[in-house]
Amino acid sequence: MKLYLSIFLFLVTLSLHAQVRVSGVVTDATSGEALIGVSVAVKGTNLGAITDVNGAYTLNVPEANALLIFSYTGYASQEIALNGRSTLDLKLGVSENLLNEIVVVGYGTQKKSDHTGSVGSVKAKDIQRIATGSVDQALQGKIAGVYVTPISGQPGAGAVIRIRGTGTLNNANPLYVVDGMLLDDASFINPQDVESVEVLKDASATAIYGNRGANGVIIITTKRGNMGDKALINFSSYYGSQQLTRQIDMANASQFAQMYNELSGQTYFPDPSALGEGTNWQDVIYRDAPIASAQISANGGSEKFLYNISANYFNQEGIQRESEFTRVTLRLNNEYQISKFLRLGNNIAFMGAKSQEPAGVALSTLWMPPVYAERDSLGKFSDPTFFGTSIGNPAADVFYRKNNFSNGARLVGTMFADITFLKYFTFRTNIGLNFTKVKNRFFLPPYEVSVSQRNINDQLSLNFYDNTNWLWENTLNFNKEWGSSKLNVLAGYTAQESHFEEYGASRSNFPSAQNELLYLTAGNDTTQMNYGRAGEWAMVSYLGRVNFTLLDRFLFTASLRADGSSRFAASNRWGYFPSFAFGWNIAQEPFMSRQHLLDRLKLRASWGIVGNDKTQLYPSLGVIQGNLYSVFGPGETLNTGATLTTQSNANVRWEEATQTDIGLEAAILQGRFSVEVDWYNRLTRDILYELPIPDYVGSAGNPVVNVADVRNRGWDFTLNWRETRQHFSYSLGAILSTVNNEVVQLDERKSEVSGGGTASGDQATLTRVGRSIGDFYGFQVAGIFQNADEIATLPRLGDQKPGDFRYRDVNSDGVINDDDKVYLGSPIPTITYGFNAGIEFAGIDLTADFFGVSGNKVVNARSMSRFGVYNWETTYFNNRWTGEGTSNTVPRVSNGGVNYRMSDFYVQDGSFFRLRSLAIGYTLPRALSQRAGISKLRVYASGTNLWTKQQYTGYSPEFAGENVFSAGIDYGNYPIAKVMLAGIELTF
Amino acid sequence: MHTNRFLIAKNVFLPTLLVLLFANSCQKEFLDRKPLGQLTYENFFQTEEQAVQATNAVYNQFRAWECVGLSYIGITDIISDDADKGSTLNDQPLAGDVDNFTFDPSNAYFAQVWRGYFRVIARANLAIKEIPNVPDIDPALRDRLVGECKFLRAYSYLILVQWYGGLPIVTEPLSADEYYTQARQPVDAVYAQIERDLQEAISALPERSKYTSADLGRATKGAARGMLAKLYLVKKDFVKAEQYALDLINSNEYTLLNKYADNFLKVGENGTESVFEIGAAALPAAIAGPAATPYNMVQGVRGVPNLGWGFNRPSDNLVSSYENGDPRREATVIYVGEVLPDGLTQVQDNPETVGERYNQKAWVPSHPGLQDNGPGNIRILRYSDVLLVAAEALNENGKPAEALKYINQVRKRARGTNNFILPDVTVTDQTQLRERIYKERRVELAMEQQRWFDLLRWGRAADVMQAVGKTNFTPGKHELLPIPQLEIDLTEGVMVQNPLY
Repeated sequence: MKLYLSIFLFLVTLSLHAQVRVSGVVTDATSGEALIGVSVAVKGTNLGAITDVNGAYTLNVPEANALLIFSYTGYASQEIALNGRSTLDLKLGVSENLLNEIVVVGYGTQKKSDHTGSVGSVKAKDIQRIATGSVDQALQGKIAGVYVTPISGQPGAGAVIRIRGTGTLNNANPLYVVDGMLLDDASFINPQDVESVEVLKDASATAIYGNRGANGVIIITTKRGNMGDKALINFSSYYGSQQLTRQIDMANASQFAQMYNELSGQTYFPDPSALGEGTNWQDVIYRDAPIASAQISANGGSEKFLYNISANYFNQEGIQRESEFTRVTLRLNNEYQISKFLRLGNNIAFMGAKSQEPAGVALSTLWMPPVYAERDSLGKFSDPTFFGTSIGNPAADVFYRKNNFSNGARLVGTMFADITFLKYFTFRTNIGLNFTKVKNRFFLPPYEVSVSQRNINDQLSLNFYDNTNWLWENTLNFNKEWGSSKLNVLAGYTAQESHFEEYGASRSNFPSAQNELLYLTAGNDTTQMNYGRAGEWAMVSYLGRVNFTLLDRFLFTASLRADGSSRFAASNRWGYFPSFAFGWNIAQEPFMSRQHLLDRLKLRASWGIVGNDKTQLYPSLGVIQGNLYSVFGPGETLNTGATLTTQSNANVRWEEATQTDIGLEAAILQGRFSVEVDWYNRLTRDILYELPIPDYVGSAGNPVVNVADVRNRGWDFTLNWRETRQHFSYSLGAILSTVNNEVVQLDERKSEVSGGGTASGDQATLTRVGRSIGDFYGFQVAGIFQNADEIATLPRLGDQKPGDFRYRDVNSDGVINDDDKVYLGSPIPTITYGFNAGIEFAGIDLTADFFGVSGNKVVNARSMSRFGVYNWETTYFNNRWTGEGTSNTVPRVSNGGVNYRMSDFYVQDGSFFRLRSLAIGYTLPRALSQRAGISKLRVYASGTNLWTKQQYTGYSPEFAGENVFSAGIDYGNYPIAKVMLAGIELTF
Repeated sequence: MHTNRFLIAKNVFLPTLLVLLFANSCQKEFLDRKPLGQLTYENFFQTEEQAVQATNAVYNQFRAWECVGLSYIGITDIISDDADKGSTLNDQPLAGDVDNFTFDPSNAYFAQVWRGYFRVIARANLAIKEIPNVPDIDPALRDRLVGECKFLRAYSYLILVQWYGGLPIVTEPLSADEYYTQARQPVDAVYAQIERDLQEAISALPERSKYTSADLGRATKGAARGMLAKLYLVKKDFVKAEQYALDLINSNEYTLLNKYADNFLKVGENGTESVFEIGAAALPAAIAGPAATPYNMVQGVRGVPNLGWGFNRPSDNLVSSYENGDPRREATVIYVGEVLPDGLTQVQDNPETVGERYNQKAWVPSHPGLQDNGPGNIRILRYSDVLLVAAEALNENGKPAEALKYINQVRKRARGTNNFILPDVTVTDQTQLRERIYKERRVELAMEQQRWFDLLRWGRAADVMQAVGKTNFTPGKHELLPIPQLEIDLTEGVMVQNPLY
């Protein structure tokens, strides 16, 4: 190692030359305005500069006829030979040639025209249009094949991302690579620091991430420093307000009272109409809440040193009372040209966050009878127990359980050294770190609303979580061009380790609930309890890739990664993940030179194998379970118990996805219109599946075995139209993707898995071979039993009464039982799509993003749950059966029982179409703003989730579940909000 | 497969570049990770303490939902004439199906208890296999622990065999190739296994008085004798039933508590009348603590005070089966308007429930946490049960005078100081006395999950079900529960369903 380094140093020193100084101004080809931040690079070196606020750059180049590359997001890159000039001005046109874009790929970047894989890309501008603290959520509707579902409306919540369908029965989350650090999430990222997000979709792109790439890879690149005479200081801020997107129309007090009288068969409320509206509990619990962000950054540098530093404050109060998220992010991205051959850099982010997470009351808010006020006449929280409700008063839950705070601190960063040697070689060593600490503090005071909603002893519970994850990557790159051919070879070795520990403690009997006394020391030490857990994993990998471009027309890529994972037994540890791809730039062919319609036409095909090792940390070992306490003696002392409770499988290994992708990229009309189409077929094999074994074995869980296969097939379409005229430009874009998800194989003894439990004890989904994962399954409603005759003569499900659902006797055997259950739809959309439109005119910019899904169903499980007298929806009141002939769709009033079995009554259309964002901005003419010393001033107003067209009767038909067998089921989540805000962007 | 496919890449391309950085041995060390803070099967069962922990883990399983939750209550009490489903009309239709004999083999209750007790058996099997190999273990402790596990295994099989009939007899941990191959063995073979375990437990276990106070609640010689006596009743081997019941009685380890109701309060936990019970406690917890059971919650008062789910409603038939003035009725049934044993709370009418009543024997006072944090010990075998076992066996063996002695001990205690009620039984006619003993068992042990098993072994289930209007009961079918359908499906017919299901 050391020896190599010395040789490199020596060789590179020999090649030093005299330098030439070049300068110039870069302007927009149409408007003539100076372009700020254009990157000017000297080809074949790490040297470069960035244009300043006047579009000017200055640069030292090693030789007088060096080749300069000018690139700027959204504009066509140009390569110009200096030919001895010392001044070089340039007009850049808006990217007519999108295919000249540079894309970030695994372990490097590539010209999009040379790329053989399927990669979707989103730039900073498009991410920052959505008012959210989560990059994940901002990706919704931006990239074909990437399906984003927000986890909930809780401030700070992320999203569940599925890339090209659901490729496993287990953890289907993608891998995140943030500035070279491999991670499971990107929740620490401030969206305003992001330069671009690339999503690697096909095996040619993902196989270089081996055992972690099967669910797709999301590469996030943060903003780098730019060279220029003058540093750019940016300040941006917004402030807005959030509210419920819609309210669910629940029955009012008089309607509730009337239904309660029907339910109980008594006149408990003598005059329901006198009760009027009563309490709208959604008004009690939800509120308009502010959201705010402020960011300041400095960006600049010289040939020796580039920097981008930023600080951001983000605050989001939740639309549910007593919920809030505050985050401070600091970023330090630097690069240092130590010598001609040695370049060092760092991308370091620090995040501190505080989050208040209240009790989950989304369901009880809907269920709470409207005849109760928040508090009774004595000022006590009202107790709904009378009606046999098993819910607590949500206002009391929120009030007493509000002292629940998480403090997260995270340091995520990479430092790298690039050593360039022998002209064609670059060696990079990259060290990444991810420190995460989360402290949770929950104080529960003593209170009593009712016997089932109370807390006798106060308790302070603390929980600490601590994770250290490091990565060391060493890669060697060989890059050579011969005329119109080039060769790039990458080889690398990496190691990564992650270790976490979590522990918690609690005490009771605090002298008071004052915040300064809420530390363990103030509690009674005889009440103390503590617990802990820890785990770790490690991985060692070898990787290699060859990219070869022949005559600018024929593109070849081959890659291989070998991963050794600590999760598997030594005999089963190493996985090998190859990929091959071929591309053909047809438009470059001589026979195409006469046509002028097609600017670009590329056909590409790829095949590869990628793995998924996201299973338990020690799936092959029989882990002894502790905490199996027994209780003996009058003192009721806890006796520790421990044993092996679950059968394990020593042969567990990773899951393997084989993916084929065929793609076409084309651009016409001088690049104004571009289209990208991909067809993919991904077969995931050896999916870990809990092998059903008989219960007499006595195992607490079923052993996991690599047995299941799942296929995802579909199309991704991306279309863009973009045109720039004098002082006027506009763009239109559309994405559309289809997924056909099919379970190809499960265990041969029991080839079905049920999931998605409902309150009636039914499972809402049944996954079988030949169907998609998590398909809904249950009875079909044929109508309502109108009278006793029908009950006596028609097939029924156990004891039924007039007014109950009449389920369809599918097999016509005269009885209703499990054999009459049928498939009722899939939670996986067959089509997801998005549109965006933007226009810029006279300093005004207007953008709109739409997102939609169709072909999927959702299950309204929140309405299936009735363990007591909960409130009903108004549509139920209006349409319910109250006697013969009154309704054939909505049953009589009842609590639980036969009308709450899983049936198509609870299955609803999950399609929706949403105006995801709408923004209008105005940029002051430069001539004007510059008088105030401001090079750019933009003010804007924007809205997120302003309008949604949906059939579903809940807040939103989006329910993110990590469990693939219970997707698309509404169990009552913290609802998402719509946001309206105003903001300002200033550049000095 | 992949090893071959990429042999070249693996052996030539990669090592030349990269092995420099990490020697292979070093790499293996880096990738060999063991669970942190958790033992694995390979390094467990190495100390005496671990032997005790593995045994404790067997007791632990008895507190699980599958063993003592609603499914257990459903197919012991609710299925019998002692209790109705309870709760609100439509809550838990599966329990209603059990109550009315409208269930089929897919009813999840049968799979739950089957699973619950076979998990006890699996934990016991592992401990019985491994504890003798624990290095340097004290032989006395070793024998006691193995004895405890055998008792717990035998009790689980005794419950299962009464419910389901013949069973797969699993006495050692099963390996992967044995998962699907276990067939049901005849009832007699299961009895023989239970008998063997209990005989060994009697030899290995100490008497109740030999345990330290902190260990009260572990299986004892008495518990094994009592359970064996009950097995012999099931087998109709009345001579041996008499023998083991009298062995227990004559050990002088047990007495009846003065107050019947005390048996079901905290004061009676592990008392002198308790032959075997499962310990539980309510530790401070927001929801269910590590020592809680669902037993109290599922049977607790529903409505005000909202102590639970309100299942297992004592039936009209049970309420009317008590002799006039029998104080045991008050100690067994909670009525609307009644002040609970804590002396503080009055039960209010819940308009959601018709004919509201609750099982007072499952009542627990105010405790930390909520309903889920059930602290009540679950009484499995009381001394009064053993006295009635003795009475029943003696009567069958033609010893009515001795039988009367034991039944009247039970009645005397129930009577307390009120000499106007519950006069001594004096009939000596075997048939009449049998009826008196059966009746006494019902009221003495009502709502303690005994009734269904008693009806089964007396061969009276069909008649009694008819008499209380459970007309769906099919003789020849419903005396046994259906084997869970999944067991039959997974074994591809190696396991055979009970008749008529």
